[in-house]
Amino acid sequence: MISRREKLFIGISAVVVGLWTFIPFFWMYYASFMTEPEIQQGIFRAVENPTVDNYSRILGLSKVEAIFGGQTKSIAMGFLNSFIVALPTAIIGTAIAAIAGYAFGRFSFPAKTPLLFTLLMTRVLPPIAILIPYFTLFREVGLVGNHGGLILTYLTGVIPLLTWVLMGYFATLPVEMERAARLDGCSRLGVLWHIILPMAAPGISAAFIIAFLFSWNELLFGIILTGGTSAQTLSPALLAISPLTATGYSGMALFSAASGLSILPPLLLALFFQRYITRLNIVDPVTFRDT
Amino acid sequence: MAAPSQIRASLTDPQFALLIVSGVIVFHLIIIIIPLGYSFWLSLHETNVILRSQDYVGFDKWGEALTEEDTIFATLRSLYFAGVSVVLSFVLSLGIALVLNQEFPGRSFLRAMILLPWAVSEVVTATMWTIILEPTWGVMTGIFPGTLWISSDWAMFWVSLAFVWHMAPLGAFFFLAALQTIPKDLYNCARIDRAGMFSRFQYVTLPHIRYAVLIVLVVVTVEAFRQFDLIYAMTGGGPGTVTQILPLLIFRYNFQFSQYGLAAASSYILIIIATILAIAYFVALTQKKTQTRKNIESKKPIRANA
Repeated sequence: MISRREKLFIGISAVVVGLWTFIPFFWMYYASFMTEPEIQQGIFRAVENPTVDNYSRILGLSKVEAIFGGQTKSIAMGFLNSFIVALPTAIIGTAIAAIAGYAFGRFSFPAKTPLLFTLLMTRVLPPIAILIPYFTLFREVGLVGNHGGLILTYLTGVIPLLTWVLMGYFATLPVEMERAARLDGCSRLGVLWHIILPMAAPGISAAFIIAFLFSWNELLFGIILTGGTSAQTLSPALLAISPLTATGYSGMALFSAASGLSILPPLLLALFFQRYITRLNIVDPVTFRDT
Repeated sequence: MAAPSQIRASLTDPQFALLIVSGVIVFHLIIIIIPLGYSFWLSLHETNVILRSQDYVGFDKWGEALTEEDTIFATLRSLYFAGVSVVLSFVLSLGIALVLNQEFPGRSFLRAMILLPWAVSEVVTATMWTIILEPTWGVMTGIFPGTLWISSDWAMFWVSLAFVWHMAPLGAFFFLAALQTIPKDLYNCARIDRAGMFSRFQYVTLPHIRYAVLIVLVVVTVEAFRQFDLIYAMTGGGPGTVTQILPLLIFRYNFQFSQYGLAAASSYILIIIATILAIAYFVALTQKKTQTRKNIESKKPIRANA
């Protein structure tokens, strides 16, 4: 039934969408196989001698690094620190948000809408607005320069968002099994653990991935709370060597390779994630019933 | 629609839910309100780093923030950034979703890939777009040598575009989720009625995705006003100060110039803008919901086209 003209139009649009998505990736990885002098002559040209030297420097396999004192070591440390911060954030954040989302999604209680609004409002606040006092307060209690302060901060960032996502997801699940379990004497949290969680595995996975990506990618709090310390996460570590800043010492070639490596874990997670996200119920939460 | 998904509240159910929810919210309020209160206190004081003194100055810093040229321009740039980002993200994410909702070879592959820009951190987004846009060795200059449109006049637009590249996939997925709830039959009926592509969009698609439209607008606006990482990594506010949006200026006031009072007062401008928008959107979200439902149920969209 679809006319040929429409088919052509759809085909061209699909190609345009694909190009728009991939071109920035392509050029960054392209640049990462060039040498610095080559880049300075212009990236839009055929590479004569593609080199993996940038990657081996980042991974610490190159002799050049030994001479310069291994400055790119901070990138490897950044990977490690980002894992140390992102994993607990994602696990704890998803767990708390699952319980809160269950409460919001399944029960009606007094002042539900105002409470939901309050929770979401904390997400709306620009991070820079709470950053300055955070820094001062965290320094007082010894949460600057270690992973704990960052995990705590990221938890406050992800929990409202995940609660919203999971609330919508739980509301789409059938309620009969829960009822039966409750009648058989299962507690409410028992129902959540034994009945809801197995059914909600896609939603929970999606929430986990959102939290992980957020913590992995975040820059601002990372700079202020861990920048320049041994707990420095990946984004601040990248920025510290970025040639785009006044202090960065690496060239664009090396920086492209470091950037290219840094996004591999998120890219893999996103590929898993896309299976679940269309099943999320963010777009139409049935839960806006203030009864 | 009655609530089949909601357990009938026994006496203790609301208490149980309230207990859990309050716990989470109290945790958040503690970790938000204490800093906000401290920041408010800072905005009322003149802090001298060298003398280590803090003198009460009332709302002087607020007045300074509201009249300082830097702050005013930074606020305008923030509004421009949010405006351009919202409009472009909206158009682009809807376009992407409409394409991905069609049948074409390689669709599932493209769907799997489309979310990748969103997964990339802002720092790396900045790297990618700098490689494309850099005026001396960038890709654009290589393709179109000697063009002037990568000048500082356009810097604000290019950082917005990089942000849109990063954000639009998420919006596209929200739209796609909404598009998939539309029954295929409606389109077939519309075709039989000889409705063209655009009238099918207007009468079949649009009524079904109104709620998604609102969600996308909210998410992009909120993220645009929160955004710091991308511009800080891409231009650092430069060239000069042409991309210095309000969060970057606050950062500089505080960490470069040690103007804690001014930084705190300026950050309240940002908080107030964000809060007003959030309340407006939240009201729209909770109300549009019921209206949209009614519209879909009462109007048979196809008939409008006959």
